[in-house]
Amino acid sequence: MTSAQNTQGRSLWADAIRKIKKNRIAVVSFWIIIAYIGLAALCAMDLVFTSYSLVDNTIPYQAPSSAHWFGTDLFGRDVLARAAHGTVTSLIVGFVGAGLSVLIGTLLGALAGYFGGLVDELITWFYSTLDNIPYILLLVAFSFVSGPGLKTLCLAIGLTSWVGHCRLVRSEFIKQRGQEYVQGAFSMGASHARRIFVHILPNTLHLILISFSLGFVSAIKSEVILSYLGLGVEPGTPSWGMMISDAKLELSRGVWWGLAAATVFMFFLVLAFTLFNDAVRDATDPKLRDK
Amino acid sequence: MSSNSLIEIKDLTVEFQTDDGTVTAVKKISFDIPKGKTVGLVGESGSGKSVSSLAIMGLIPNPPGKVTTGQILFEGKDLLKNSESQMRKIRGKRISMIFQEPMTSLNPVFTVGDQICESLILHEKMSKAEAWERAIELLDQVGIPNPSERIKSYPHEMSGGQRQRVMIAMAISCNPDLLIADEPTTALDVTIQKQILDLIADLQKKYGMSVLFITHDLGVIADISDEVVVMYRGDIVEKNSTEALFKKPQHPYTKGLLACRPSLDEHPRRLPVVSDFMTPDGKEKTPDQSVLKAAKEIRPISDSQTPLLEIKSLKKHFPLKKGFFGGVQSWVKAVDDVSLTVRKGRTLGLVGESGCGKTTLGRTILRLIEPTAGEVRYNGVDVTGLNKSDMRAMRRKMQIIFQDPYASLNPRMTIGAALMEPMVIHKLGSSKSERLDMAAKLMDRVGLSASMLNRYPHEFSGGQRQRICIARALAVEPEFIICDESVSALDVSIQAQILNLLLELQEELNLTYVFISHDLAVVKFISDEVAVMYNGQVVEMNTAVGIYENPQHDYTKKLLSAIPKGMPKTLLS
Repeated sequence: MTSAQNTQGRSLWADAIRKIKKNRIAVVSFWIIIAYIGLAALCAMDLVFTSYSLVDNTIPYQAPSSAHWFGTDLFGRDVLARAAHGTVTSLIVGFVGAGLSVLIGTLLGALAGYFGGLVDELITWFYSTLDNIPYILLLVAFSFVSGPGLKTLCLAIGLTSWVGHCRLVRSEFIKQRGQEYVQGAFSMGASHARRIFVHILPNTLHLILISFSLGFVSAIKSEVILSYLGLGVEPGTPSWGMMISDAKLELSRGVWWGLAAATVFMFFLVLAFTLFNDAVRDATDPKLRDK
Repeated sequence: MSSNSLIEIKDLTVEFQTDDGTVTAVKKISFDIPKGKTVGLVGESGSGKSVSSLAIMGLIPNPPGKVTTGQILFEGKDLLKNSESQMRKIRGKRISMIFQEPMTSLNPVFTVGDQICESLILHEKMSKAEAWERAIELLDQVGIPNPSERIKSYPHEMSGGQRQRVMIAMAISCNPDLLIADEPTTALDVTIQKQILDLIADLQKKYGMSVLFITHDLGVIADISDEVVVMYRGDIVEKNSTEALFKKPQHPYTKGLLACRPSLDEHPRRLPVVSDFMTPDGKEKTPDQSVLKAAKEIRPISDSQTPLLEIKSLKKHFPLKKGFFGGVQSWVKAVDDVSLTVRKGRTLGLVGESGCGKTTLGRTILRLIEPTAGEVRYNGVDVTGLNKSDMRAMRRKMQIIFQDPYASLNPRMTIGAALMEPMVIHKLGSSKSERLDMAAKLMDRVGLSASMLNRYPHEFSGGQRQRICIARALAVEPEFIICDESVSALDVSIQAQILNLLLELQEELNLTYVFISHDLAVVKFISDEVAVMYNGQVVEMNTAVGIYENPQHDYTKKLLSAIPKGMPKTLLS
């Protein structure tokens, strides 16, 4: 204890990262997610799978072959390339949609949980009302009003799916605000903003992160559902939802590869996110610490 | 093996696998529990006492824990060789256990009757009706009034003391040969603690069972145990009959433990601590003369007369029940018309049991909770009337140190950041490096190394964290500090160090304290004056010595008589 040089402490985050690194499934999942992001970036810059919009009317609905691993669609476009480019749509919807909803949910949840009283009642009333309208109906209504498109999709998902995050953050703030360290900050003269942002928020961040990643998965699924209903991205934009939507006609003709490609791409992304999420939860849960 | 021992532990080693390697919780310990006797197992947190008891129950979680060597002979048969299903027949029937926290060790969705019946039906093969009859009998034996009605209660309908009685009723329901009591009174008030200790002693005699009583406080077991085993860092450092151990402790650690508990008969300058008797590696050490002298000297009561804090008819009422239209129909009067004066440089002790309003009073003084009515004057200024920015400035002068050092530091802030935060808020120090310097000095002041500033709270022990909390309170150079049960969560040996530190700081910085505690011995040691609270009111106030020598109010008398004497009865006369 009397060592002369400064001992560097290990923060709870550093601790969590160390635990995640030890978890092989988590590490693999993490790299799969990174690979998807890398793929999306390359596709967005048009560096790989550049043939995704190349129409070739001579080869419609070709079965998988060495030239087209996942076959071709109605317009003779390469299905694999389209699925790869669908990643861009999915990731944008996932990050922006879930990000927006987490932002709204965290802000309102923090205010409601921290201040309580009238603020809490108003916010609770608001989200309870919103929550009583079926989620998909809200999404549909929103898409109808502002027309299809990626921007609408992100906004629709962000503005309608924050209730869960809000509930979670609210309850965590209620729990944390009574803790002695927050009381201690109060007795020190700390302002509301300081108590909310410097003290309580960092202690709920791990839950917000987990909530975000669950939201991410459900935003991707929402995109697929909305596109299937014809309310998603503009026709022509490569998206897994559009591919699955197209499959409803194709399957009867025995064309299964469009559905297969979209499903395979989605499956691994969702699986990786879910497994990584579990690992993060295990590593950051304070109840599992010191055991 | 001696024929009269129920349990013989031989060379028991328990190891835990952690991220940082193997930790040996218990190393090669051996001790006996004789039939029909009470053995006290004493040690600080982390000494391995709970692990030893879990090993007897076969409840070491595996992984990460593992018994690597040794035997636990129960009537000559090694428990460690038993299969899980064999152990299940022993657990609850032959060996049973009660825990520290009566609030969480009962299942909240079942009535207490259901919970007591469960083991009777399981182990004694009783019918539901028979078990119910027996459960009523048991509740009667553990002193629950009107047992045939109370048996239908749910845990939340009972007080902490009553729940602990229910736990004891469950534990003795199958006439066990051994009852393991793991800190059963630590979470309870002194008056309830005494009742529970008496109850365990009575039941032990009545049923002739053996009791293994685990505690961190030697004082608690002096009255009820026949033998004492002292553990330190996974080792047994001393075992002896209670009388011999208290009369002539052999190991320096035991000596330190006995000396560091504040006693009711003295009012010394400083408490001896374990490190006065023992070097860090466990070697004996003769305490300095100055230490012994300070422990013998009577601390003079500060003669300061200038009032620093004046509280006049302070009230805090919480609404309990609201009517249909939102009107409040009944109130909890947590603080009900309290008037007190604290003089500059003095310490006012505030004692009372849980729920008496002492914590609410402390927080109302600091306006962490807004008072319902009344006045708090600090240096003549009415604190209750200050506006937001004046109040913020006032907070620099008035600080608080909380009970739980684990909860009172932000787990995601380094110690350095935590110490510098109040300086930033109150604009002390002109630059970061100056504040860092100040933080380093504070660490030094509370007996910690400045090299630890980059660490996080979870890397410190409870005692160290409480030192950090003190340093943080001192960061704004306050004049007045409220200590709210600031040492109650600490082991006795650490408690003495923190109390000494608080006294040193008071002398050096001329601080004024309000010291809130349920522990009368601690309050007496640190306070100049003592106020006794009961049901939201101050029922008695006197000098620290006066109140113990000449208690006036019935409640004060009851409190005083409930304090464990810290000595076996035979040695007291």
